[in-house]
Amino acid sequence: MTRSPGSHLSADEIDACLIGVPTPEIQRHLDQCSQCLEQVKIDREIAELVAALPLTSPAADFADRVMARVVVPDPFAIRSLQATRRRLFSTPRSFAAAAGFALFLLGSMAGSVVWSLSHQETLAALGSWLFAQGGQAVWLGVQGLASNLLEQPWYGGLKSLADNPGRLAVFSALGSFAYLSGLIALRRLLAAPTQQVAHAGL
Amino acid sequence: MAGPQTEWGGLTDQEVVLRARSGQETAYRELIRRYERPIFALLFRMVRDRELAEDLAQETFVKALNAIESYRPEFKFSSWIFKIANNAAIDHLRRRELDTLSLDGSPHAETPEAMQATALQIGARQETPLDTVEAKELGTAIEAAIGSLRPEYRSCILLRHVEGRAYEEIAEILNLPLGTVKTYIHRARNELRLSLAHLKE
Repeated sequence: MTRSPGSHLSADEIDACLIGVPTPEIQRHLDQCSQCLEQVKIDREIAELVAALPLTSPAADFADRVMARVVVPDPFAIRSLQATRRRLFSTPRSFAAAAGFALFLLGSMAGSVVWSLSHQETLAALGSWLFAQGGQAVWLGVQGLASNLLEQPWYGGLKSLADNPGRLAVFSALGSFAYLSGLIALRRLLAAPTQQVAHAGL
Repeated sequence: MAGPQTEWGGLTDQEVVLRARSGQETAYRELIRRYERPIFALLFRMVRDRELAEDLAQETFVKALNAIESYRPEFKFSSWIFKIANNAAIDHLRRRELDTLSLDGSPHAETPEAMQATALQIGARQETPLDTVEAKELGTAIEAAIGSLRPEYRSCILLRHVEGRAYEEIAEILNLPLGTVKTYIHRARNELRLSLAHLKE
């Protein structure tokens, strides 16, 4: 940067002198201009005086007093929820947005309740229509399932078994025995071990 | 066994913050240990009241550490916490409407006329630099001279010459344009020079 002849040092140039060694151009100016030289000297003295001020410390229990008011996050808590909550309450704008959304939800719910109370007949008519339609759909489903079962190839064998009471009793007994055996086996499998495991204490 | 300082000594502020975020209380204490003195010193020189400076420093740390999740690691932690501290001090000074001495007028004044028109007078309750010079206490005189600066100038000069912060960082901390920071520091030095001129006589 070149300076016009006769002008004094700018604030940036004086500052450059305080930070380090001045450039040859600034040095030449300082050699000729006693006013700028005096200014640099005084500014340097002021900077040194301010920098030499003692660094005072707060009271010894300062950290404890701060920590008593700081909420340390629980490492086992759901971090994303914590972060969301902090973000919501971080600025007045985000807090206002969250509060607005909550008010909107509450308003919608309140409006819904009020409308329902004032339109009970409409709701009752809608309920009976839905009940009738639902019942019809269920009945159609049951009918479809029954006709499907009747068309299965094993349905004839099952029907003949039901016609003979002795054979039905034998099959029922076999089925019950298989069910009970399975239940006992499962219970044994899930039972806690009775002996100590050697490495459990490690 | 390594002591607490050697345990944390090799970690950057950002790494300590990450540990604090994961719920380590010792990381919070390390951040307090690193910054309690510079933050307190800045606030003490801003408000010139030890008890008040402690309260503001406590408020600064509580606010910063409770909002540690909102700290963005791409910025320097020191800039972030100094910004919170400076805001706390400036807010307090504005609330209290401290009488301040300015030889240059409003910091926003662009022309010499505007500066002259907005120049403030020495407040009645203000401890004048001249009184302090009579007491022949250099340190007190400097403290008083700094205390007589406008809060904006005070922040700039303290961050620059006590904390050794770069101009760019000061601009970030104070949320001011770089040119304004340079102007404030230049004006603050001029005011200090005039305030302390009696010392040389």
